[in-house]
Amino acid sequence: MMFLLFLVTDFFFSGLVRSNVRVDLSELPFYFSGAVYLIGDEFFPCLVCIAKSSCISTRVIHSLEAMGCLCSKQKPVRTSDAEENAKAAEIEKRIAQEATAEKHIQKVLLLGAGESGKSTIFKQIRLLFQTGFDEAELRSYIPVIHANVFQTIKILYDGAKEFAQNETDSLKYVVSLENKVIGEKLSEIGGRLDYPCLTMELADEIETLWNDTAIQETLSRGNLIQVPDCAQYFMKSLRRVSDANYVPTKEDVLYARIRTTGVAEIQFSPVGENKRNGEVYKLFDAGGQRNERRKWIHLFEGYDQALFEDETKNRMMETKALFDWVLKQPCFEKTSFMLFLNKFDIFEEKALKVPLSVCEWFKDYQPVSSGKQEVEHAYEFVKKKFEELYFQSSGPERVDRVFKIYRTTALDQKLIKKTIKLVDETLRRRNLLEAGLL
Amino acid sequence: MSVAELKERHEAATAAVDSLRERLRQKRQMLLDNDLVGYSRTQGRAAISFSSTDLVCCRTLQGHTGKVYSLDWSPERNRIVSASQDGRLIVWNALTSQKTHAIKLPCAWVMTCAFSPNGQSVASGGLDSGCSIFNLNFQIDRDGNIPVARFLSGHKGYVSSCQYVPDDETHLVTGSGDQTCILWDVTTGQRLSVFGGEFPSGHTADVLSISINGSNSKMFVSGSCDSTARLWDARIASRAVHTFHGHKGDVNTVKFFPDGQRFGTGSDDGACRLFDVRTGHQLQVYQQQQQQGDNSADSPIVTSIAFSISGRLLFAAYSNGNCYVWDTLVGKVVLNLGAVQNSHEGRISCLGLSADGSALCTGSWDRTLKIWAFGGHRRVM
Repeated sequence: MMFLLFLVTDFFFSGLVRSNVRVDLSELPFYFSGAVYLIGDEFFPCLVCIAKSSCISTRVIHSLEAMGCLCSKQKPVRTSDAEENAKAAEIEKRIAQEATAEKHIQKVLLLGAGESGKSTIFKQIRLLFQTGFDEAELRSYIPVIHANVFQTIKILYDGAKEFAQNETDSLKYVVSLENKVIGEKLSEIGGRLDYPCLTMELADEIETLWNDTAIQETLSRGNLIQVPDCAQYFMKSLRRVSDANYVPTKEDVLYARIRTTGVAEIQFSPVGENKRNGEVYKLFDAGGQRNERRKWIHLFEGYDQALFEDETKNRMMETKALFDWVLKQPCFEKTSFMLFLNKFDIFEEKALKVPLSVCEWFKDYQPVSSGKQEVEHAYEFVKKKFEELYFQSSGPERVDRVFKIYRTTALDQKLIKKTIKLVDETLRRRNLLEAGLL
Repeated sequence: MSVAELKERHEAATAAVDSLRERLRQKRQMLLDNDLVGYSRTQGRAAISFSSTDLVCCRTLQGHTGKVYSLDWSPERNRIVSASQDGRLIVWNALTSQKTHAIKLPCAWVMTCAFSPNGQSVASGGLDSGCSIFNLNFQIDRDGNIPVARFLSGHKGYVSSCQYVPDDETHLVTGSGDQTCILWDVTTGQRLSVFGGEFPSGHTADVLSISINGSNSKMFVSGSCDSTARLWDARIASRAVHTFHGHKGDVNTVKFFPDGQRFGTGSDDGACRLFDVRTGHQLQVYQQQQQQGDNSADSPIVTSIAFSISGRLLFAAYSNGNCYVWDTLVGKVVLNLGAVQNSHEGRISCLGLSADGSALCTGSWDRTLKIWAFGGHRRVM
């Protein structure tokens, strides 16, 4: 059985930055978890939904049984040695065994762009349901964390320079003279392919630059220049991470940002202790691919249509288009969807600063109050919009599929654990329903 | 220079490139006085008469539990390797239709497979952004699997296509979603050359297919999502020898003509084209005329092509389950393998001709492979 899990990230958002040319997005604010890290990435927002496609295992078993009969109907087999026959039979038996074993594994695919939180979910699952990370693995993240530090400070410094050139109130982005020297040096380091080790001296310099008011101003407009999420977190711990005996903590590892290539996969069972009752899940993350999704997405499902990403559309609208498209696919007719509105903590922050109505889809939004109430209200509004879309795009024959919306913060372990348990329960209930037992 | 100025210059440069390209296209159009079909007509060539008994399905290979994506014949000994969505490579004995090997891949998302020239190894590539090499003579482990002999990593995107250099099992060419092609030394795992990437004459979108010239293994052609096919000289990685325009959609498949002077392409625009390597011109378009009122968005795309050993026949598989056999000289479809008895039930995703040209194998999304042999008085075409 195959499931699809899309991850919705930062939910409102504007301008997709595809090339090194930065578009001025000041009139389009975005609620956003921070920038997408590497300039030139393709962004693709995603919805987390869990889909179940039709089970093919019974058909497979039948065809394997039939195979034996079919072979003999064809042209007379040359009297090949008994050995070849035996080997072939052995292979067929193994394939059948593997197919039955796989039937019990629920496969979940996480689709999403960088920065939507997929790798974080992977790490969380390792921590929650597997043995987590051992010391050697924790240490292996040190170069990644150091790299993140260099990359962050470079982005901030270069960003400040650019704002100083182009912004109307440019003076506040001008870095002080002493810090300029540091800045140029760090910018050069950050631009290299291989980063040096983060020593105490370098850490001190970085901290000095970080404390420059110009840099802090630039940080406040971080979404324009793609400052990574982990910026604040690592910058506040510079001393710790540059220590010679530094061993990253689990939280550090969760924040560390590395680009995944290929397909990452992880197998786990939510009900760890009692394996018999718990379903076994296998999670795949193909988000590292920065290319034409339509050329490989069929590996996961049966659809062949192309979904074009328009560079001029804003990310929320793309999410809307993708969700709409996915809902209409015939192969997902009986599929349940669970929408994870991720990075909720960031949403909370931004919802109070920028009105929702700026996003085209939410233009009929009216703020009612302020503070926590406002955040809740805004969230409910977004939720309602997705629900409307879901019902609009689902024909009458699709009534028996389930649609649920959850809010998540991939970095919050408790929340992830709770969410996965909920997902697991829902899926198991569906399975029981289908088997006619409920 | 400010950002705004950079943008302006960028736009001006793009406009200049586009207008130059348009002029090139028009010039080529002017030079094209004839196409292959037109010429054959003047020579009085008639289409081959082909009846449905001339090419029959003589074997159906079953065993995959997922869609078949790719297949390759071994250069001798009549074996076929196929890759499927179920994450397995299966090696078949084409004559007896028995499975000789079934390899469960470490990364299930496989998109391509290839047989080595000596028939001892198979290569596969896919979403893991690398190419795995398996030696078929290796001992199988407890789970019955063959371990990976070598993993060629270095691509930054999925590997869509791979092929061993003819008669040379130490070299392999791969095409990838990261817009580059790479020539590898299999024994060391090193990248010998990267075609495209930072170099301006490389593809500007995912590379979907490659084909090495059988007569001159230093040349190969690649087809890409940027609607072009590019010819490369393996010795010169810095620029493509030539870029072939003409298609209006992703070029999904490219295949060299048997004599190595031409190559065919198949695309999302539903057409196959034949290009000449020496002049860089398009020789012929092979396309079914659309019925009136057909929604162009539903027109079938070409998924895979192959030439018969003389080149007279072009086999083209489409996404709607059809598999047309085109007479390349006359430009007519002489047979549709998708409509005969015992044909595939789903889209045909790959096809390939055996080394001696006596059989065609097709792989489909219906999870089977079929071997078609020339019947009647024809042994080879």
